[in-house]
Amino acid sequence: MNRQIASWGGRYGAMSLFALFTLFPFLWALSVGLSSDPSAIWHFPASFVPNAPGTGWFRRVFAEMPFFTYVGNSLLLSAITVAGVLALTIPCGYALAQLDFPGRRALFAVMLLTLTLPSEVAIVPNFVTISRLGLVDTYLGAVLPNLASAFGVFLMKQSFEQVPEEVIDAARVDGASEWRLLWRVAVPLNLPAIGTLAIFTLVTAWNDYLWPAVVFYTRSKLPISVGVFNDLTGPFAVSTSLVMAAVVMAVVPVIVLFVATQRLFLQPQALPLRG
Amino acid sequence: MAKPGVRALTGWLFVAPCALVFVVFTLWPMLFNGWLAFQDYFIAERATAWNDFANFVTLYKSATFRLSVANSLLMLLTVPIIQAGALGLALLVHRKLPGITFFRATFYLPVVITLSIAAIVWRYVFHYDGMLNWALTAIGVFEPRQGPQWLEQSGPALVAVMLFAFWKNVGYYMVLYLVGLAAIPRELTEAAVLDGAGPRARFIHISLPMLAPVIVLCTLLSTIAALKTFQEVMVLTGGSGDTVTALYFVYNMAFSGFNFGAAGAAALLFTLVCLAVALVQLRVMGRHSPFRRAA
Repeated sequence: MNRQIASWGGRYGAMSLFALFTLFPFLWALSVGLSSDPSAIWHFPASFVPNAPGTGWFRRVFAEMPFFTYVGNSLLLSAITVAGVLALTIPCGYALAQLDFPGRRALFAVMLLTLTLPSEVAIVPNFVTISRLGLVDTYLGAVLPNLASAFGVFLMKQSFEQVPEEVIDAARVDGASEWRLLWRVAVPLNLPAIGTLAIFTLVTAWNDYLWPAVVFYTRSKLPISVGVFNDLTGPFAVSTSLVMAAVVMAVVPVIVLFVATQRLFLQPQALPLRG
Repeated sequence: MAKPGVRALTGWLFVAPCALVFVVFTLWPMLFNGWLAFQDYFIAERATAWNDFANFVTLYKSATFRLSVANSLLMLLTVPIIQAGALGLALLVHRKLPGITFFRATFYLPVVITLSIAAIVWRYVFHYDGMLNWALTAIGVFEPRQGPQWLEQSGPALVAVMLFAFWKNVGYYMVLYLVGLAAIPRELTEAAVLDGAGPRARFIHISLPMLAPVIVLCTLLSTIAALKTFQEVMVLTGGSGDTVTALYFVYNMAFSGFNFGAAGAAALLFTLVCLAVALVQLRVMGRHSPFRRAA
């Protein structure tokens, strides 16, 4: 019995230590942001407890940084990306899973292969393409390269393969068109997988830093990931307290979304592969 | 599979929009890099001229390019550390103990946190007067004020990038190992317990062999991720302290040096390396992907 308790204690001890490792940057940021008196922020471990707690720094962030503009831009970009990815990958995945046409295997093989290649090398050519299309510094230009998600196609194909053949054939015999069949029969049967894809896409789009940083040059169009980063490493860097308050505000939306959907990430039916 | 009354045209129409965007923004860039690699590209005039292998000679002569390749290879050192850490964490949180979801979620949290925002805090952790040097001083590694300049000094700066990459990614692989552990049949473990096998024997003789495909997959994913290290450097050190990696070199060549030809050449070489790793991956994994769902 004592050994059992000791082993449990060891387990929880180890887990708590590692939890501290993953969380300490944010705990410190929160404590610094809440400290009205910044004199102790470099004194460890005292800096993990707010010194003269107050919300002054947070109010200054709201006053001095266009935080809600960034949030709005992030929401807009993520929403367009999610809608676009679903609109493109659902019919594509369905056709690859349930329809027969020449080139089907080749298309899927090429898409799978690109999943393992570094998407970052596409930045330069895509910038050339986007500027030829006149889409630099536009929301369309910021989302377009991310829409044909190979991961999304893979996930949708896998999911639509699970629809029983009898169901599809029955609908076909009833004379339903393939388009109608997709949206009225196949999609309702695959809502969990579609939801998973939507959430993964949302998180990826929300966190995307590199491409928006390249494609936008107007500050008021920037998403959080770029706008807050630029401000905090530029004009705001003079006050650590201000920086940390802004960091806390910037991670809160992600943490809320993650807590609400953690099941999808921690018990994955499909791997959240990163391109 | 016979498809009654479904024409091939329908299939093409369904994939067309996705395929079009895919070809333009995913496939074309790879081909374009291959073409750029052999060109002098004049941005202002939008003119190009074939220059044989001049871009590759530029790369060969560039000390920064050699440094960036060396750094990308050095990042491979993180692969075994991240994998060992992830497997250890998975074993730690595998059993359904009270509060386990909290710990799993906490360990995964850095994966979903915006990279650029997380990097801001870590810049302060690595500050010469920051938390890391304080902790190292406290345990007596350095005399006060003698710690390294983690983000500026050649050597320590790359270690800082590695530590940041570990923090950011270890939870991702932990979840993959958790999926693998959950797939081990309970009877196997129970039979081993009946046979009197201790935890260590069970790990070596059951968990490890059963996890082998997952370990291979994770190692390959992690290898590609390590070679691809770029954004971590961009947001953490901005390339200072000799932390330029291969992809960062490509980016800098294009957007700071405006040498799109050399950038294309470096991108082409890099894509080929990743392609080679990917082919190994496909060969090793083949049809035995541990995550293929039973149909």
